[in-house]
Amino acid sequence: MGKVRITVPMNRVEGDLEVRVEIADGVAVDAWCSGTMYRGFERILEGRGALDGLVLTPRICGICGISHLRAAATALENLAGITPPPDATRIRNLTVMTEHVQSDIRQSFLMFAVDFLNPVYEATPLYGEALARFQPFKGETVRQVIRETKKILEIIAILGGQWPHSPFIVPGGLASQPTGESLLRCRLILEQFRRWYERRILGCELERWLEILDSDDLDGWLEEREEHWKSDLGLLLRLARQHGLDRIGGGHDSFLSYGGFPEPDQEKSKGKNGLFPAGFLLDNEVHALDEKRVTEHVAYSWYVDYKGGKHPGDGETQPYATGAEGDKYSWAKAPRYDGRPAETGPLASMMVAGNPLFQDLVRQNGPNAMARQLARLVRPAYFLPAMQRWLAGVSGDEEFYRSNGEIHDGTGCGLGEAARGGLGHWVTIERGRIKKYQIVTPTAWNASPRDSDGTRGPMEESLVGTPVRDPENPVELSHVVRSFDPCLVCTVHAVGRGKKLGRLRLSMTK
Amino acid sequence: MKAQRIICVGNRFVEADALGGLVFDYLRRHAPPASVQVFDGGLAGLDLLRLVEGAGRVVFVDSMANVEVPGEIIVLDEAGLREIAPDAYDHGAGLPYLVRALPYVCDDPMPELLLVAARTPCQPETVRKAADLAIEIALQGWRAEVAAREEA
Repeated sequence: MGKVRITVPMNRVEGDLEVRVEIADGVAVDAWCSGTMYRGFERILEGRGALDGLVLTPRICGICGISHLRAAATALENLAGITPPPDATRIRNLTVMTEHVQSDIRQSFLMFAVDFLNPVYEATPLYGEALARFQPFKGETVRQVIRETKKILEIIAILGGQWPHSPFIVPGGLASQPTGESLLRCRLILEQFRRWYERRILGCELERWLEILDSDDLDGWLEEREEHWKSDLGLLLRLARQHGLDRIGGGHDSFLSYGGFPEPDQEKSKGKNGLFPAGFLLDNEVHALDEKRVTEHVAYSWYVDYKGGKHPGDGETQPYATGAEGDKYSWAKAPRYDGRPAETGPLASMMVAGNPLFQDLVRQNGPNAMARQLARLVRPAYFLPAMQRWLAGVSGDEEFYRSNGEIHDGTGCGLGEAARGGLGHWVTIERGRIKKYQIVTPTAWNASPRDSDGTRGPMEESLVGTPVRDPENPVELSHVVRSFDPCLVCTVHAVGRGKKLGRLRLSMTK
Repeated sequence: MKAQRIICVGNRFVEADALGGLVFDYLRRHAPPASVQVFDGGLAGLDLLRLVEGAGRVVFVDSMANVEVPGEIIVLDEAGLREIAPDAYDHGAGLPYLVRALPYVCDDPMPELLLVAARTPCQPETVRKAADLAIEIALQGWRAEVAAREEA
């Protein structure tokens, strides 16, 4: 059989991602991930006031706006040498995690699980069960997920004034001070959500899940009780194994995490590095994160060329797409750490943190689509106790804002985990205005094009070797891409595309 | 009486998606009747669910791309809105997805849903007309005589 090139139909991810794959003898042999629209936020920010990133960058994405807001504030704090007070850190951690939790659960059941309803699986044993739970709009799980994620987002609305695009995080802390009543309401919402997550998603208490330390434990847990087997997580695991998701979707075996959930009181935490620490994992060794080792390449991106990679602080965003630019194929740049591609996201966070279950899963089969999605779906099990602890730790009487005065000239960076992985903002202020702003998003890391050395990005690499039974319906490739939860909204483009625009078929009553 | 709400949606920074924001601004300047609650729903999409629940009637205001006649105002009912909804959720899921999901996830009795839409960019007159129509429909529902008057 000769080689064929297909474009993988990627609905249910932001539509500005195009994935092209070359298939030979029923196996993907090469892949190209392309961001098809220009973002340009960096250019929009140039020349604006020092604080404007706080207003504009959260609007890059309607899903992880709090993560952008925190990164923008942290970059300015880094520049100005400001440390926010402990209660502000607690509230920041709590709201960013709330955003993660809703995204993790929605993505798992409103996007990822839908692929198990592909017609190719119609005759397989678990299809009926999957249909009953995951059918869009009607599935039992889908309906519950929409209801419950709606409720947990109220935490951000209560503490931040609104969601999405909340403006409440500022350099030095928070722009508002929560009342005792609002903190109590958040505690009740969080407790209710935890109970639902335990009952519906896990089928067990968080404490029981956290006892799982390797793949044998995971098998034992699955078989232990009917509630585990029948839980949404249990079904997702059974489906993933039935369809071989634990054997597809490898990668470069290098992982990057920015951490970003600091313990509020550094003195009391005695140097602890937060819930999920920052680091770079290569060859089973975790290296301390050094943001100076982050570079961006544009050899295959539609930007004016420069040699090798540039640190984001020195980076440029000069679009170059004339139609005669040769090998370039993406509006996303190619971020690299120490010159290497790196996967970021929940699995990377687990790996860098040394989570024994995920280390074992990757040791056995390498990085794979099932482990990646499992890490996302169970991340709330690790977050929720910390969220409750931090919320309970907010006294309400302490300060929520600490300032050093105006933001002076200089450079700073703000790193942290967004729902899809490491998010970085780099800013340079000169004469009170933004001289340079660079944003490196999680999907830029994962859906990166090739770099100056021609090395594929993580998602491209993960597609290579995937068996494809039917190039007309490459569901295997969809599983792999979706396991990264790519979001090209924040990676590449400047405007909300608005799916309704240009896709309307009207049934007018007028 | 259950609440009557106008929810203006869209991205006010993008001309082709700006009607909701423009109508919201207009309504704020021209105090709507006290019985009508007006919200700027922005890009919240599925997260507008909380605003829809508990209402008796909700009128959305949004831009629509394929309106052929500049200045024409389109009104859709719930069935019309469902027809333009996507088959599944994605990161860009907006108003049509919300409307299609509502019967399955609304924690209160379903409100009456209507959409007032026009193509943007548009003249201020179109914004005014859309705002006035949204108020009228929010108060009284969609009535045949309104259709007859508008078409005249």
